[in-house]
Amino acid sequence: MHMDLSPASREPMRPPAPAKLVIGSFAAGLLLNLLPWSGWALLVKPDFVLMVLIYWAMHESRNVGQGWGFVLGLIMDVADSVLLGQHALAYVGAVYLTQLVRLRLFQLSVLEQALHIGLILAVAQGVNVLLNLSVGRDFPGFLLALSPVLGAALWPPLHFIAIQPRLRQRDVVTLMR
Amino acid sequence: MSVYQENFFTRGPSPLARVVFFAIVSIGVMIADHRFQALGWMRSVVSAMISPIETALAWPGQASRAVGLYFAGQHQLVEENRTLKTELLELAAARAQADQLKSENRQLLALRGEGDRFADQGQIAEIVRDARNPFARKIIIDRGSRHGIAAGRAVIDGAGVVGQVTAVGLMTSEVTLTTEKDHSVPVMVVRNGLRALAVGAGREGTLEVPFIPLGADIQVGDMLVTSGIDGTYPAGLAVATVSAVDKNPADSFARIVAVPVASASSHRRVKVFTQAELHDYPRPDVPEAADPGGKSGKPPRRGPAAPEARK
Repeated sequence: MHMDLSPASREPMRPPAPAKLVIGSFAAGLLLNLLPWSGWALLVKPDFVLMVLIYWAMHESRNVGQGWGFVLGLIMDVADSVLLGQHALAYVGAVYLTQLVRLRLFQLSVLEQALHIGLILAVAQGVNVLLNLSVGRDFPGFLLALSPVLGAALWPPLHFIAIQPRLRQRDVVTLMR
Repeated sequence: MSVYQENFFTRGPSPLARVVFFAIVSIGVMIADHRFQALGWMRSVVSAMISPIETALAWPGQASRAVGLYFAGQHQLVEENRTLKTELLELAAARAQADQLKSENRQLLALRGEGDRFADQGQIAEIVRDARNPFARKIIIDRGSRHGIAAGRAVIDGAGVVGQVTAVGLMTSEVTLTTEKDHSVPVMVVRNGLRALAVGAGREGTLEVPFIPLGADIQVGDMLVTSGIDGTYPAGLAVATVSAVDKNPADSFARIVAVPVASASSHRRVKVFTQAELHDYPRPDVPEAADPGGKSGKPPRRGPAAPEARK
Protein backbone atom coordinates (compact mmCIF):
# COMPACT_ATOMS: atom_id res chain seq x y z
CA MET A 1 0.00 0.00 0.00
CA HIS A 2 2.34 2.75 1.13
CA MET A 3 5.96 3.04 0.21
CA ASP A 4 8.52 3.20 2.96
CA LEU A 5 11.02 5.54 1.38
CA SER A 6 12.51 7.28 4.36
CA PRO A 7 15.30 5.33 5.99
CA ALA A 8 15.21 7.37 9.19
CA SER A 9 11.71 6.51 10.27
CA ARG A 10 8.77 4.28 9.67
CA GLU A 11 6.55 7.29 9.22
CA PRO A 12 3.94 6.32 6.68
CA MET A 13 4.20 8.58 3.69
CA ARG A 14 0.97 10.46 3.42
CA PRO A 15 -0.03 13.48 1.46
CA PRO A 16 -0.09 16.54 3.69
CA ALA A 17 -3.37 17.09 5.51
CA PRO A 18 -5.55 19.69 3.84
CA ALA A 19 -5.34 23.12 5.44
CA LYS A 20 -9.11 23.04 5.99
CA LEU A 21 -8.78 19.95 8.16
CA VAL A 22 -5.99 21.48 10.25
CA ILE A 23 -7.76 24.81 10.76
CA GLY A 24 -11.12 23.11 11.31
CA SER A 25 -9.71 20.80 13.97
CA PHE A 26 -8.14 23.72 15.81
CA ALA A 27 -11.47 25.54 15.67
CA ALA A 28 -13.21 22.46 17.06
CA GLY A 29 -10.65 22.16 19.86
CA LEU A 30 -11.05 25.85 20.68
CA LEU A 31 -14.85 25.52 20.81
CA LEU A 32 -14.57 22.58 23.18
CA ASN A 33 -12.20 24.56 25.38
CA LEU A 34 -14.51 27.59 25.36
CA LEU A 35 -17.52 25.67 26.67
CA PRO A 36 -18.64 27.06 30.03
CA TRP A 37 -16.70 24.55 32.14
CA SER A 38 -16.87 25.07 35.86
CA GLY A 39 -16.31 23.33 39.16
CA TRP A 40 -14.68 19.91 39.10
CA ALA A 41 -15.27 19.54 35.34
CA LEU A 42 -12.94 22.49 34.81
CA LEU A 43 -10.20 20.74 36.76
CA VAL A 44 -10.66 17.41 35.03
CA LYS A 45 -11.23 18.46 31.44
CA PRO A 46 -8.35 17.77 29.06
CA ASP A 47 -6.97 20.67 27.05
CA PHE A 48 -8.51 19.95 23.65
CA VAL A 49 -6.57 22.65 21.81
CA LEU A 50 -3.30 21.24 23.11
CA MET A 51 -4.27 17.73 22.04
CA VAL A 52 -5.05 18.86 18.50
CA LEU A 53 -1.81 20.83 18.51
CA ILE A 54 0.20 17.78 19.56
CA TYR A 55 -1.52 15.69 16.92
CA TRP A 56 -0.58 18.06 14.12
CA ALA A 57 2.89 18.70 15.52
CA MET A 58 3.36 14.95 15.16
CA HIS A 59 1.68 14.36 11.83
CA GLU A 60 2.23 17.70 10.08
CA SER A 61 5.56 18.63 11.59
CA ARG A 62 6.53 20.71 8.57
CA ASN A 63 3.58 23.03 8.84
CA VAL A 64 2.47 23.02 12.48
CA GLY A 65 5.17 23.85 14.95
CA GLN A 66 6.02 25.94 17.96
CA GLY A 67 4.80 29.18 16.37
CA TRP A 68 1.29 27.73 16.28
CA GLY A 69 1.67 26.69 19.89
CA PHE A 70 2.67 30.19 20.89
CA VAL A 71 -0.23 31.92 19.12
CA LEU A 72 -2.85 29.38 20.27
CA GLY A 73 -1.46 29.64 23.79
CA LEU A 74 -1.93 33.40 23.81
CA ILE A 75 -5.50 32.97 22.58
CA MET A 76 -6.23 30.50 25.38
CA ASP A 77 -4.65 32.85 27.91
CA VAL A 78 -7.08 35.59 26.96
CA ALA A 79 -10.04 33.23 26.71
CA ASP A 80 -9.44 31.84 30.19
CA SER A 81 -8.41 35.27 31.51
CA VAL A 82 -5.19 34.01 33.01
CA LEU A 83 -1.67 35.37 33.05
CA LEU A 84 -0.74 36.20 29.44
CA GLY A 85 1.96 33.87 28.15
CA GLN A 86 1.17 31.04 30.54
CA HIS A 87 -0.51 28.71 28.06
CA ALA A 88 1.86 29.96 25.35
CA LEU A 89 4.87 28.66 27.28
CA ALA A 90 3.14 25.37 28.11
CA TYR A 91 2.06 24.80 24.49
CA VAL A 92 5.46 25.66 23.03
CA GLY A 93 7.09 23.26 25.48
CA ALA A 94 4.58 20.52 24.59
CA VAL A 95 5.22 20.98 20.86
CA TYR A 96 8.96 20.80 21.49
CA LEU A 97 8.60 17.53 23.40
CA THR A 98 6.41 16.18 20.60
CA GLN A 99 9.04 17.12 18.05
CA LEU A 100 11.66 15.31 20.10
CA VAL A 101 9.75 12.03 20.29
CA ARG A 102 7.66 12.10 17.12
CA LEU A 103 9.86 9.70 15.16
CA ARG A 104 9.62 7.23 18.02
CA LEU A 105 5.85 7.74 18.26
CA PHE A 106 5.37 6.56 14.70
CA GLN A 107 6.89 3.20 15.62
CA LEU A 108 4.39 2.65 18.40
CA SER A 109 0.80 1.52 18.50
CA VAL A 110 -1.85 4.12 19.19
CA LEU A 111 -2.25 2.94 22.78
CA GLU A 112 1.47 3.26 23.41
CA GLN A 113 1.37 6.68 21.79
CA ALA A 114 -1.38 7.66 24.23
CA LEU A 115 0.99 7.04 27.15
CA HIS A 116 3.54 9.41 25.65
CA ILE A 117 0.86 12.00 24.93
CA GLY A 118 -0.36 11.75 28.51
CA LEU A 119 3.14 12.53 29.74
CA ILE A 120 3.45 15.51 27.42
CA LEU A 121 0.05 16.81 28.58
CA ALA A 122 1.15 16.35 32.18
CA VAL A 123 4.33 18.36 31.57
CA ALA A 124 2.32 21.16 29.95
CA GLN A 125 -0.06 21.20 32.88
CA GLY A 126 2.84 21.13 35.29
CA VAL A 127 4.16 24.29 33.64
CA ASN A 128 0.75 25.94 34.12
CA VAL A 129 0.51 24.91 37.75
CA LEU A 130 4.05 26.02 38.58
CA LEU A 131 3.52 29.40 36.92
CA ASN A 132 0.31 29.93 38.89
CA LEU A 133 1.88 28.90 42.16
CA SER A 134 4.81 31.21 41.46
CA VAL A 135 2.49 34.22 41.28
CA GLY A 136 1.05 33.26 44.66
CA ARG A 137 -2.13 31.39 43.80
CA ASP A 138 -3.45 28.38 45.66
CA PHE A 139 -3.29 24.83 44.34
CA PRO A 140 -6.85 24.05 43.28
CA GLY A 141 -6.77 20.34 44.04
CA PHE A 142 -5.44 17.01 42.91
CA LEU A 143 -8.33 16.46 40.51
CA LEU A 144 -6.08 18.39 38.11
CA ALA A 145 -3.97 15.25 37.78
CA LEU A 146 -6.88 13.52 36.06
CA SER A 147 -6.79 15.92 33.13
CA PRO A 148 -3.70 14.46 31.36
CA VAL A 149 -5.03 10.97 32.07
CA LEU A 150 -8.30 11.80 30.34
CA GLY A 151 -6.34 13.45 27.55
CA ALA A 152 -4.36 10.26 27.03
CA ALA A 153 -7.59 8.26 27.04
CA LEU A 154 -8.96 10.54 24.34
CA TRP A 155 -5.91 10.10 22.12
CA PRO A 156 -7.03 6.90 20.33
CA PRO A 157 -10.46 8.37 19.43
CA LEU A 158 -8.79 11.59 18.28
CA HIS A 159 -6.38 9.62 16.18
CA PHE A 160 -9.22 7.59 14.70
CA ILE A 161 -11.26 10.70 13.84
CA ALA A 162 -8.31 12.57 12.42
CA ILE A 163 -7.25 9.89 9.99
CA GLN A 164 -10.71 9.44 8.52
CA PRO A 165 -10.67 12.16 5.86
CA ARG A 166 -7.07 11.48 5.07
CA LEU A 167 -7.75 7.82 4.46
CA ARG A 168 -10.14 8.82 1.76
CA GLN A 169 -7.59 11.14 0.31
CA ARG A 170 -5.03 8.37 0.11
CA ASP A 171 -7.42 6.32 -1.96
CA VAL A 172 -7.59 9.14 -4.46
CA VAL A 173 -3.80 9.20 -4.65
CA THR A 174 -3.63 5.44 -5.26
CA LEU A 175 -6.17 5.75 -8.01
CA MET A 176 -4.15 8.41 -9.67
CA ARG A 177 -0.93 6.46 -9.51
CA MET B 1 5.86 16.32 -5.01
CA SER B 2 7.28 19.78 -4.51
CA VAL B 3 6.10 19.69 -0.91
CA TYR B 4 8.60 17.04 -0.05
CA GLN B 5 11.52 18.55 -1.91
CA GLU B 6 11.06 22.05 -0.63
CA ASN B 7 11.90 21.24 2.96
CA PHE B 8 14.46 18.57 2.25
CA PHE B 9 17.47 20.54 3.39
CA THR B 10 16.31 23.93 4.57
CA ARG B 11 14.64 23.44 7.90
CA GLY B 12 15.32 26.72 9.65
CA PRO B 13 16.46 26.95 13.24
CA SER B 14 16.62 23.72 15.24
CA PRO B 15 13.67 22.82 17.51
CA LEU B 16 15.84 23.52 20.55
CA ALA B 17 16.69 27.00 19.28
CA ARG B 18 13.03 27.64 18.59
CA VAL B 19 11.83 26.47 21.97
CA VAL B 20 14.40 28.65 23.72
CA PHE B 21 13.32 31.64 21.62
CA PHE B 22 9.59 31.11 22.29
CA ALA B 23 10.17 30.43 25.98
CA ILE B 24 12.02 33.72 26.33
CA VAL B 25 9.25 35.56 24.46
CA SER B 26 6.57 33.88 26.61
CA ILE B 27 8.33 34.81 29.81
CA GLY B 28 8.72 38.36 28.50
CA VAL B 29 4.99 38.50 27.81
CA MET B 30 4.25 37.16 31.29
CA ILE B 31 6.42 39.79 32.92
CA ALA B 32 4.87 42.53 30.79
CA ASP B 33 1.41 41.32 31.77
CA HIS B 34 1.98 40.57 35.44
CA ARG B 35 4.33 43.36 36.47
CA PHE B 36 3.40 46.20 34.17
CA GLN B 37 -0.13 45.32 32.99
CA ALA B 38 1.14 46.43 29.59
CA LEU B 39 -0.82 44.15 27.32
CA GLY B 40 -4.38 45.21 28.05
CA TRP B 41 -4.97 46.19 24.45
CA MET B 42 -4.08 42.71 23.28
CA ARG B 43 -6.47 41.19 25.80
CA SER B 44 -9.32 43.43 24.71
CA VAL B 45 -8.74 42.75 20.99
CA VAL B 46 -8.67 38.98 21.36
CA SER B 47 -11.50 38.88 23.89
CA ALA B 48 -13.68 40.98 21.59
CA MET B 49 -13.26 38.24 18.99
CA ILE B 50 -13.77 35.37 21.42
CA SER B 51 -16.62 36.59 23.61
CA PRO B 52 -19.42 36.29 20.99
CA ILE B 53 -18.41 32.64 20.53
CA GLU B 54 -18.43 32.11 24.29
CA THR B 55 -21.84 33.71 24.58
CA ALA B 56 -23.14 31.42 21.87
CA LEU B 57 -21.64 28.39 23.62
CA ALA B 58 -23.11 29.38 26.97
CA TRP B 59 -26.53 29.85 25.38
CA PRO B 60 -27.75 26.23 25.51
CA GLY B 61 -27.16 26.12 29.26
CA GLN B 62 -28.99 29.40 29.79
CA ALA B 63 -31.81 28.30 27.52
CA SER B 64 -32.25 25.04 29.39
CA ARG B 65 -32.39 26.93 32.67
CA ALA B 66 -34.99 29.26 31.20
CA VAL B 67 -37.05 26.29 30.02
CA GLY B 68 -36.71 24.67 33.44
CA LEU B 69 -37.93 27.90 35.01
CA TYR B 70 -40.87 27.98 32.65
CA PHE B 71 -41.96 24.53 33.72
CA ALA B 72 -41.41 25.17 37.42
CA GLY B 73 -44.39 23.98 39.36
CA GLN B 74 -47.30 26.36 39.86
CA HIS B 75 -47.37 25.47 43.54
CA GLN B 76 -43.70 26.35 43.93
CA LEU B 77 -44.18 29.70 42.20
CA VAL B 78 -47.15 30.62 44.36
CA GLU B 79 -45.20 29.66 47.46
CA GLU B 80 -42.21 31.70 46.33
CA ASN B 81 -44.43 34.64 45.50
CA ARG B 82 -45.96 34.56 48.95
CA THR B 83 -42.58 34.48 50.71
CA LEU B 84 -41.31 37.30 48.55
CA LYS B 85 -44.36 39.43 49.31
CA THR B 86 -43.96 38.85 53.04
CA GLU B 87 -40.31 39.75 52.73
CA LEU B 88 -41.23 42.87 50.78
CA LEU B 89 -43.61 43.99 53.50
CA GLU B 90 -41.01 43.47 56.16
CA LEU B 91 -38.38 45.25 54.11
CA ALA B 92 -40.67 48.20 53.34
CA ALA B 93 -40.61 49.33 56.95
CA ALA B 94 -36.91 48.76 57.25
CA ARG B 95 -36.37 50.64 54.02
CA ALA B 96 -38.29 53.67 55.22
CA GLN B 97 -36.24 53.73 58.39
CA ALA B 98 -33.05 53.24 56.44
CA ASP B 99 -33.90 56.12 54.13
CA GLN B 100 -34.49 58.38 57.06
CA LEU B 101 -31.32 57.28 58.81
CA LYS B 102 -29.39 57.71 55.59
CA SER B 103 -30.50 61.29 55.09
CA GLU B 104 -29.84 62.03 58.74
CA ASN B 105 -26.42 60.46 58.45
CA ARG B 106 -25.72 62.39 55.28
CA GLN B 107 -26.52 65.66 57.00
CA LEU B 108 -24.34 64.79 59.96
CA LEU B 109 -21.48 63.77 57.70
CA ALA B 110 -21.91 66.96 55.70
CA LEU B 111 -21.66 68.94 58.92
CA ARG B 112 -18.30 67.29 59.51
CA GLY B 113 -17.29 67.96 55.93
CA GLU B 114 -17.20 64.31 54.94
CA GLY B 115 -18.44 62.78 51.76
CA ASP B 116 -21.11 60.20 51.27
CA ARG B 117 -20.16 56.60 51.84
CA PHE B 118 -23.45 55.07 50.82
CA ALA B 119 -24.56 54.28 47.33
CA ASP B 120 -27.64 52.82 45.80
CA GLN B 121 -27.41 53.44 42.08
CA GLY B 122 -26.58 50.41 40.06
CA GLN B 123 -27.72 48.04 37.39
CA ILE B 124 -28.77 44.44 37.40
CA ALA B 125 -26.58 41.95 35.58
CA GLU B 126 -26.84 38.25 35.03
CA ILE B 127 -24.07 35.78 35.79
CA VAL B 128 -23.16 34.09 32.51
CA ARG B 129 -20.68 31.52 33.79
CA ASP B 130 -17.67 30.96 35.99
CA ALA B 131 -14.34 32.06 34.59
CA ARG B 132 -12.47 29.04 33.25
CA ASN B 133 -9.48 29.47 35.49
CA PRO B 134 -9.22 26.89 38.26
CA PHE B 135 -6.63 29.02 40.04
CA ALA B 136 -8.83 32.07 40.45
CA ARG B 137 -12.29 32.75 41.81
CA LYS B 138 -13.99 34.84 39.19
CA ILE B 139 -17.33 34.97 37.42
CA ILE B 140 -18.43 36.52 34.14
CA ILE B 141 -21.48 38.80 33.99
CA ASP B 142 -23.39 39.93 30.93
CA ARG B 143 -22.73 43.65 31.25
CA GLY B 144 -19.69 45.39 29.83
CA SER B 145 -18.27 48.77 28.93
CA ARG B 146 -21.24 49.21 26.57
CA HIS B 147 -23.48 49.35 29.63
CA GLY B 148 -21.22 51.67 31.56
CA ILE B 149 -19.50 49.08 33.71
CA ALA B 150 -15.98 50.00 34.74
CA ALA B 151 -13.27 48.17 36.62
CA GLY B 152 -13.40 48.59 40.36
CA ARG B 153 -17.20 48.68 40.74
CA ALA B 154 -18.67 46.73 43.61
CA VAL B 155 -21.02 43.81 42.88
CA ILE B 156 -23.66 42.50 45.28
CA ASP B 157 -26.37 39.88 45.21
CA GLY B 158 -29.51 39.56 47.30
CA ALA B 159 -27.55 38.72 50.42
CA GLY B 160 -24.42 40.85 50.27
CA VAL B 161 -21.12 41.63 48.58
CA VAL B 162 -20.15 39.24 45.78
CA GLY B 163 -16.98 40.96 44.69
CA GLN B 164 -15.59 43.61 42.45
CA VAL B 165 -15.39 44.13 38.68
CA THR B 166 -11.78 43.55 37.66
CA ALA B 167 -11.83 43.37 33.88
CA VAL B 168 -14.32 44.83 31.45
CA GLY B 169 -15.04 43.67 27.94
CA LEU B 170 -17.46 45.20 25.50
CA MET B 171 -20.47 43.08 26.47
CA THR B 172 -19.21 41.10 29.46
CA SER B 173 -17.18 41.80 32.57
CA GLU B 174 -15.16 39.71 34.92
CA VAL B 175 -15.99 39.90 38.61
CA THR B 176 -13.42 38.77 41.15
CA LEU B 177 -15.16 37.22 44.12
CA THR B 178 -14.39 38.24 47.68
CA THR B 179 -13.15 34.69 48.27
CA GLU B 180 -10.33 35.11 45.72
CA LYS B 181 -6.99 34.65 47.43
CA ASP B 182 -5.60 37.92 48.79
CA HIS B 183 -8.63 39.92 47.67
CA SER B 184 -9.54 42.12 50.59
CA VAL B 185 -12.63 44.08 51.57
CA PRO B 186 -12.54 46.71 54.30
CA VAL B 187 -15.21 45.74 56.80
CA MET B 188 -16.43 46.59 60.24
CA VAL B 189 -18.22 44.62 62.90
CA VAL B 190 -21.84 45.74 63.05
CA ARG B 191 -22.08 45.17 66.79
CA ASN B 192 -19.30 47.55 67.81
CA GLY B 193 -17.90 49.21 64.73
CA LEU B 194 -14.54 47.45 64.95
CA ARG B 195 -12.67 47.99 61.68
CA ALA B 196 -11.08 45.03 59.94
CA LEU B 197 -10.22 43.48 56.60
CA ALA B 198 -11.96 40.45 55.12
CA VAL B 199 -9.41 38.67 52.97
CA GLY B 200 -10.22 35.85 50.57
CA ALA B 201 -8.65 32.49 51.31
CA GLY B 202 -8.85 31.12 47.77
CA ARG B 203 -11.50 28.60 48.76
CA GLU B 204 -15.23 28.68 48.41
CA GLY B 205 -17.07 29.97 51.43
CA THR B 206 -14.10 31.13 53.46
CA LEU B 207 -12.80 34.57 54.34
CA GLU B 208 -10.04 35.37 56.78
CA VAL B 209 -9.92 38.38 59.06
CA PRO B 210 -6.25 39.08 59.72
CA PHE B 211 -4.48 41.55 62.01
CA ILE B 212 -7.09 41.58 64.77
CA PRO B 213 -5.34 41.84 68.16
CA LEU B 214 -6.05 39.11 70.68
CA GLY B 215 -7.85 41.52 72.96
CA ALA B 216 -10.25 42.82 70.34
CA ASP B 217 -13.95 42.31 70.87
CA ILE B 218 -15.00 39.99 68.08
CA GLN B 219 -17.15 36.90 68.51
CA VAL B 220 -18.50 34.01 66.53
CA GLY B 221 -21.70 35.16 64.85
CA ASP B 222 -20.63 38.77 64.43
CA MET B 223 -21.83 40.33 61.21
CA LEU B 224 -19.22 42.04 59.05
CA VAL B 225 -20.37 44.85 56.74
CA THR B 226 -18.39 47.05 54.40
CA SER B 227 -17.00 50.08 56.13
CA GLY B 228 -16.79 52.14 52.96
CA ILE B 229 -13.43 53.62 53.79
CA ASP B 230 -11.74 52.34 50.65
CA GLY B 231 -13.97 54.23 48.24
CA THR B 232 -14.64 51.03 46.27
CA TYR B 233 -17.31 49.27 48.28
CA PRO B 234 -20.20 51.42 49.46
CA ALA B 235 -20.65 51.31 53.21
CA GLY B 236 -23.11 49.07 55.00
CA LEU B 237 -23.23 46.07 52.67
CA ALA B 238 -23.21 42.68 54.34
CA VAL B 239 -20.00 40.74 53.66
CA ALA B 240 -19.65 37.80 56.00
CA THR B 241 -20.48 36.24 59.35
CA VAL B 242 -17.67 35.32 61.71
CA SER B 243 -17.62 31.55 62.04
CA ALA B 244 -14.53 30.85 64.12
CA VAL B 245 -12.34 32.87 66.44
CA ASP B 246 -9.14 31.28 67.64
CA LYS B 247 -7.27 33.38 70.18
CA ASN B 248 -4.04 31.56 70.77
CA PRO B 249 -1.85 33.49 73.24
CA ALA B 250 1.24 32.29 71.36
CA ASP B 251 0.30 34.40 68.33
CA SER B 252 0.14 38.15 68.16
CA PHE B 253 -3.14 38.17 66.27
CA ALA B 254 -6.34 36.22 66.56
CA ARG B 255 -7.13 33.70 63.83
CA ILE B 256 -10.58 34.61 62.60
CA VAL B 257 -12.53 32.87 59.87
CA ALA B 258 -15.74 34.20 58.37
CA VAL B 259 -18.31 32.80 55.97
CA PRO B 260 -19.38 35.15 53.16
CA VAL B 261 -23.11 35.81 53.06
CA ALA B 262 -23.25 36.18 49.28
CA SER B 263 -22.85 33.13 47.16
CA ALA B 264 -22.25 33.49 43.46
CA SER B 265 -23.04 29.85 42.87
CA SER B 266 -26.63 30.10 44.08
CA HIS B 267 -27.68 33.44 42.58
CA ARG B 268 -28.01 34.12 38.88
CA ARG B 269 -28.46 37.87 39.10
CA VAL B 270 -26.30 40.49 40.72
CA LYS B 271 -26.27 44.25 41.05
CA VAL B 272 -23.32 46.29 39.88
CA PHE B 273 -22.93 49.71 41.44
CA THR B 274 -22.41 52.45 38.91
CA GLN B 275 -21.24 55.25 41.13
CA ALA B 276 -17.64 55.81 40.26
CA GLU B 277 -16.26 57.60 43.24
CA LEU B 278 -17.97 57.24 46.56
CA HIS B 279 -15.94 59.69 48.47
CA ASP B 280 -12.62 61.42 48.33
CA TYR B 281 -9.63 59.95 50.01
CA PRO B 282 -8.34 62.11 52.82
CA ARG B 283 -5.87 64.52 51.33
CA PRO B 284 -2.78 65.80 53.07
CA ASP B 285 -2.89 69.51 53.75
CA VAL B 286 -0.90 70.85 50.85
CA PRO B 287 -0.37 74.60 50.82
CA GLU B 288 -2.56 76.04 48.11
CA ALA B 289 0.16 78.54 47.16
CA ALA B 290 2.13 75.77 45.52
CA ASP B 291 -0.57 75.53 42.89
CA PRO B 292 -1.46 79.03 41.79
CA GLY B 293 -3.32 77.94 38.68
CA GLY B 294 -5.58 75.79 40.81
CA LYS B 295 -5.68 73.15 38.10
CA SER B 296 -4.79 70.11 40.11
CA GLY B 297 -6.60 69.00 43.20
CA LYS B 298 -10.02 70.05 44.29
CA PRO B 299 -10.39 72.55 47.09
CA PRO B 300 -10.62 70.79 50.43
CA ARG B 301 -14.16 70.00 51.40
CA ARG B 302 -15.31 72.05 54.28
CA GLY B 303 -18.77 72.93 55.43
CA PRO B 304 -22.12 71.53 54.55
CA ALA B 305 -22.11 72.76 50.95
CA ALA B 306 -19.19 70.62 49.86
CA PRO B 307 -20.62 67.18 49.09
CA GLU B 308 -22.48 67.27 45.80
CA ALA B 309 -25.92 65.83 45.63
CA ARG B 310 -25.35 62.21 44.93
CA LYS B 311 -28.79 60.82 45.13
